Amino acid sequence: MTLHIVSKSPYSSKALADCLGAFAEGDALLLIEDGIYALSGRMPESIAASPVYCLQADAEARGLPIPEKIEAIDDARWVELCTQHNPIVSWFK
Amino acid sequence: MKFSLAVYSAPHSSQSAASALRFARALLEQGHQLYRVFFYCDGVHNGSGLAAPPQDEVDLVGEWQSLQREQQLDLVVCIAAAQRRGVLNEREAQRLEKPAANLAEGFELAGLGQLADALVNSDRLVTFGD
Amino acid sequence: MAKRTLALCRQAPYGSALAREGLEAVLAAAAMDRAPELLFLCDGIFQLLDNQEPGAIDQKSLRRNLQALPMFGVETIHVCERSLMERGVDTGQITIAGVDIQRVDDTGGFIAAFDTVLSF
Repeated sequence: MTLHIVSKSPYSSKALADCLGAFAEGDALLLIEDGIYALSGRMPESIAASPVYCLQADAEARGLPIPEKIEAIDDARWVELCTQHNPIVSWFK
Repeated sequence: MKFSLAVYSAPHSSQSAASALRFARALLEQGHQLYRVFFYCDGVHNGSGLAAPPQDEVDLVGEWQSLQREQQLDLVVCIAAAQRRGVLNEREAQRLEKPAANLAEGFELAGLGQLADALVNSDRLVTFGD
Repeated sequence: MAKRTLALCRQAPYGSALAREGLEAVLAAAAMDRAPELLFLCDGIFQLLDNQEPGAIDQKSLRRNLQALPMFGVETIHVCERSLMERGVDTGQITIAGVDIQRVDDTGGFIAAFDTVLSF
């Protein structure tokens, strides 16, 4: 299944919304860089049942608390996620 | 596993190129292979030897060069994208009659065929864009 | 089994270089007999509009890249149905000679079937 990597804030970019429009059951979402801001406020309902990860370092850099349902990961786990999923799609605009 | 990375973003203009470097280091630390890093679009600026960030900021070009030396990486800068943006090696600078060359050591200019080749020869492609 | 590669074309043409540079990457792969499949979605569908005249803004036409696709063996492209509808574009406005345009409903399912995705 696909790993979707979103690196832009949903409050200033359509990257996350576009990503969710191309989400299949079993896909996973990883929030990195400004994508972390999706953790502030409500996460979209459509991915309530999907695995959602965020880069710990990016959340810390931005002073964002990480909600319970989101798994904060380090770089090693990021690499592991990429080995466990295919293809890998990046949403950055 | 064999990874290739596609980097479309310039260093410093956004976090994306720095994320690519972090990911590159992490995958190598985990014992995976990094087949190629292909710098395309504004990513060609990662190969500019003229970048001179302040001392208290990360020198991304320098960091790519260190990693390249340590791990014998294949860092490819797309020649067409580089010409458009002014990243040239000696040969290209002379051929195009430009006043200087600036491709940083450790990087190579090559065509888009190298991206296609990376797709065939890697298990995973991760894209870093902005 | 040969790896299946998909190029996701999501950017509108002319405002950003990524639309053109994405197609150039696709054509380069196609020239090596390694053409990825193509899915146009989000603003990428605007790359397909007829009647583009970018000479007016001193740019080369992206459609020339699209028109080259069949010469390199790419005879089918895919378009996200929802992206067309959201943007008020109907298939009558997007024609490329020699190329069959297939509409995709379930883009997630479509993408998941590939081994590698070029994210443009």
